[in-house]
Amino acid sequence: MNEFFVVVGLGLCLLVFLVLYRVIFGPGVFNRIAAVSAIGTKSLIILLIFGYIYNRVEMFIDISMVYALLNFIGCIAAAKYLEMER
Amino acid sequence: MIISSDDIIIKTIARIFVPFIQLFALYVIMHGHYSPGGGFQGGVILGASLVLLLITHGYEEMRRRVPEGAVILLGSLGLLIYSGIGLTCLLLGGNYLDYSQLSVILHVDPAHARAMGILGIELGVAFAVMAAVCSIFFDISTGGILPEDEK
Repeated sequence: MNEFFVVVGLGLCLLVFLVLYRVIFGPGVFNRIAAVSAIGTKSLIILLIFGYIYNRVEMFIDISMVYALLNFIGCIAAAKYLEMER
Repeated sequence: MIISSDDIIIKTIARIFVPFIQLFALYVIMHGHYSPGGGFQGGVILGASLVLLLITHGYEEMRRRVPEGAVILLGSLGLLIYSGIGLTCLLLGGNYLDYSQLSVILHVDPAHARAMGILGIELGVAFAVMAAVCSIFFDISTGGILPEDEK
């Protein structure tokens, strides 16, 4: 079962790099915000997979919750910045 | 200066979310010895909940609920808790922050006194960090000039 989680985690890491392209070269700010949010979600899942690999899910679930929370607040803050720019 | 958002979805979600974020922050502070977390991390989450309130409900509403003076008072209180516990240990004849000396005051055995002492220290750190995060965000969002300063 561990091999399955390792493969899924590596696949998600690859997907993070694909989305990172959109963050760097993406046309417009909205693409960048959406891409950063997607990277945050993927890193959350990667953290949970780490938890399954090390058999300490109850520890990693706290970290992933905080990560999701800060991702949400960051997304709102970026949207607020765009609203004030206008 | 940040004004209140017009969008009802963002305002409602933020209003529902903030108490749960603060509850989770208290869990991170209290559960710091068994799982990742502790005073600093819990304080940052508490500060993040106030930052969320500020960017969704605007500066005026935030100042009504959490005044700038209260934030500074809370930060000083956190520092006082930290240094107070440390100095109490020093006065009781141990080293600075040597919690086992607190067993004389708390009437428990030294191992329990250590657990209670570290909890008090973490509460102090959490208050100080929350106040610092909140105060820094206040200052950045208003450009360092608060509306009551201009009067």
